[in-house]
Amino acid sequence: MNIQTLLTPFARKPSKELLSKDRSTVRVGIPKVLNIWNTHQFWIGFLEGIGIKYTNIVFSSNTSEEQSREFGKGRGTVDCCYPVKAMSGHYGELIFGQKKKINVLLSPLIYSMPSSLQGHVVANNTCTRVMAGAENIKSGYMKEKDVFVENQIKYASPYCTLDDRIIVPQQLFDGLKDIFDLTYEETKKAVEIGFNALDTFNKKMQKQSMDILEQCAKTNKPCVLVIARPYHMDTGIGHEIETDLQAHGYPIVWMQYFPTDPTLMNWLFEEDIKEKQIKSPFDISDVWPSSYSSNTNEILWAAKIAARFPWITCVIRLSSYECGMDQPTFTPTQKIVENSGTLFFKFGDLDSTKPSGSVRIRVETIVHYVKKNSASIIEKKLARMKTQWPPVKAEALV
Amino acid sequence: MEPTPHYKAYKPKPFTKEQRKDTTLLFGGLTWKHERLIQGAFHNLNYKAEPLPNITRADLDTGKELIDVGACCPTIFTTGNLVNYLKKKKEEEGKEAAVNDYAYFTMGACGPCRFGQYRESYSMALDGIGLRDFRMFFLSQTELNQGDQEGGGLEVNMPLTTGIVWAILIGDLLTDLEFQTRPYEVVPGQTNIVLKECIEIMYQAFKNRPIDKIKGNKWLTLGWHVVSNYFTDALKEVIAKWKTIEVNKAQAKPMVKITGEFWLQTHEGDGNYNIKDWLEKEGAEVIPPPVAVWLDYLMQFPLHALNERKNVDKGTKKKILMLKGMIKMYHWTYNRMRKSLNEMPYEMPSQKTLAELAAPYFNFRLDGGEGHMLIGKALYAYLNNKAHMTCELTPYSCMPNTMSVGAMANVRGKYPELLYAPIEIKGDAEIHALSRCQMILTEAKKRALKEYDEVMKKCNMTPEKLEWIALNAPEYKEASFKVPHNGYAGTGANYITMLSQYKGKLTKTLKKTATVTPKPIAAETVLTEVAATETVTVQEPELTYA
Repeated sequence: MNIQTLLTPFARKPSKELLSKDRSTVRVGIPKVLNIWNTHQFWIGFLEGIGIKYTNIVFSSNTSEEQSREFGKGRGTVDCCYPVKAMSGHYGELIFGQKKKINVLLSPLIYSMPSSLQGHVVANNTCTRVMAGAENIKSGYMKEKDVFVENQIKYASPYCTLDDRIIVPQQLFDGLKDIFDLTYEETKKAVEIGFNALDTFNKKMQKQSMDILEQCAKTNKPCVLVIARPYHMDTGIGHEIETDLQAHGYPIVWMQYFPTDPTLMNWLFEEDIKEKQIKSPFDISDVWPSSYSSNTNEILWAAKIAARFPWITCVIRLSSYECGMDQPTFTPTQKIVENSGTLFFKFGDLDSTKPSGSVRIRVETIVHYVKKNSASIIEKKLARMKTQWPPVKAEALV
Repeated sequence: MEPTPHYKAYKPKPFTKEQRKDTTLLFGGLTWKHERLIQGAFHNLNYKAEPLPNITRADLDTGKELIDVGACCPTIFTTGNLVNYLKKKKEEEGKEAAVNDYAYFTMGACGPCRFGQYRESYSMALDGIGLRDFRMFFLSQTELNQGDQEGGGLEVNMPLTTGIVWAILIGDLLTDLEFQTRPYEVVPGQTNIVLKECIEIMYQAFKNRPIDKIKGNKWLTLGWHVVSNYFTDALKEVIAKWKTIEVNKAQAKPMVKITGEFWLQTHEGDGNYNIKDWLEKEGAEVIPPPVAVWLDYLMQFPLHALNERKNVDKGTKKKILMLKGMIKMYHWTYNRMRKSLNEMPYEMPSQKTLAELAAPYFNFRLDGGEGHMLIGKALYAYLNNKAHMTCELTPYSCMPNTMSVGAMANVRGKYPELLYAPIEIKGDAEIHALSRCQMILTEAKKRALKEYDEVMKKCNMTPEKLEWIALNAPEYKEASFKVPHNGYAGTGANYITMLSQYKGKLTKTLKKTATVTPKPIAAETVLTEVAATETVTVQEPELTYA
């Protein structure tokens, strides 16, 4: 018997007012940095869920040298990796660069990430600099005087573990209740909306990647996999290197949106599972036992994918200046990819300036090798596979 | 042609029980004192164990050659240290012996920081010197009972874990004694000699731990360590020995609190430019960072995680209570051992206090490295007048530390008087780092001297009076005497305040005894005069500061 059913008639019902405060005029600015790049849909969904109008959610623009110069100058407090350093400019742009002022600057402390490897790895933590970046950058705007208060902006920096969905409502309620005057119930509902939005978006992106992979398989054409952290999608951080490659006609797949379709996964990893090297397609303990860090785990997993998927004939590895999380992965990632005969090119120490000339020369070199070697790479990698990939097989039957 | 097999990560061969008697377990990463005591705990359980040699600059060079570019300096140093040791063994005993007769044992589980990924650097270095078959074991730093490692040669059970933890705690306590004494020793070098003897006393205590009598039940083993007098009795022996060191604490020395990244702050050697030693030579008293605080910090994380889940998971409240009990027991044990040493070693700060102090600047849930602790510790020392300056040792390219150093900008904005020296350590830029530290140290020295002079005036104290007290109360010149914290950062200032309080009591005592036997208390003329006229001329000092 559920006692709650008896008690419910006597319980105080939440008033309508508590559940639906009017926040339609509140403008929220979010610095478009770091792991916001692959959780933005969650934050949009969440904010809409608590009644913020879509048009009042403002993201800062992509990272650029101009942005740093105009808005972030003098706000840095320590030398660190470029993606964190660049945050100062994003904060400044949201505080000083908006025609219509924002009321809240939301810069979450994301401790852990949702990941397709969840449950198969030790943990899904974010990089220690990435999770604490907001605390560091905030100090640059508060060390002399509180710039947020001066500009009548509420600074919100809720801590959250996005890989543990069940406790996120409490975390965001604790971190944001005073900012938005929230109730727990509406926070919980909004978190659900946020995760639904994120899942829907990720599925859509994976479907698009799947279409590319199938197309490559059916036409026996190569594609290029980008192994990088989510914020390398920022044109000021990743410098659109993959776009230059795409311009030469090679389809690009980002590792963050690689499809996790069971048929494809089993096809790629069935031999490793049979040999008991791994327990599932998402298990990376054979190449990376210290699987604590979400983005790092995915990098290693993507390298394994690249080593097995026949039509990925080239990997582009992007890494930012002074990235401590990337550093121990350099050799393992390269070895995983190159042991399979797949081409591997790394663009390291990327910072604020795009070295256009050298990027162009390197892209031309990459294109040359991809053009020259793809056919033989595909052939060799296909020869390693015991079976045909079902979509290709089905196509052949038709 | 057969295709190249897919890449596989390093996996050690099993270490079997049969191999235990012929295999030397290597370990390191702490100070020589901690390591010697840990060795005692290993020997007690019939393991052959040996700490790696202390870090040298040559280890940095070796490490740089063998691992991926851009590693943090603790990774480079420790990797190079292991490699150089193995190279030496390979030369002396041959490759087979280096691979089969030794195994490396370290903590390798952390989380967000690269510390959790040392394994890859080590294995890459082993590849580089052709010793991939060498066995390394990486254990979790948060579990007491991890069971048999593969092969069963190494049993990470309660007797081993308690041995190691107790060795760490006692290593910390003796390190506190060492750093409180050496700057004030009257006979140069005496502290180091006595320290070595004391470490040997404790090594024997660990080696002869009556583990056979208590082995079998893990809770019984833990209970014995907590409640028995075995270690506290040994520590009383230590403090008796410590008493023989003569000190003069009536000196103005800046108190420098060391904080920073775990390895770098704990280390004593080339890895951090011997900065603690250097600071002492520059006239400072160093407050060393205890490993015990780090262990306390680690215990907070499961507590926070459980607290978050208490409305979600069943049985969480019970686990929270158990963990809180464990933390209390941990503090109680540490304090009990401190009491055996006249409470000379510093008390562990409350983690709650550190988190609360740091809260406006750094969220306490952000772990990886030392998180909010660096901010909390610096503020704790400043606001409670425990140190004149804080020296934070940050490894070059350390990820978590750079974040808290950045957040410290905000703290310094609020507290501009806080003397804070964040020193980035690369391992090969000594002059730059030390000169940077010296700039802040100069200001700390000025403050220490000013504070000392003010206290001397306030307490109406003169060098002659100090000498007089020393002759009448020789126990104040014993290194085992605890100088209470009387509100000043400097030991000298606290010492003078304490003496001024004592002087009043002593004067009264002399008044009583003088009526019966008015004999001089010292041979020297000046002091005889002081003693003879004391009942008439010397006023009890006015205590303007309590």
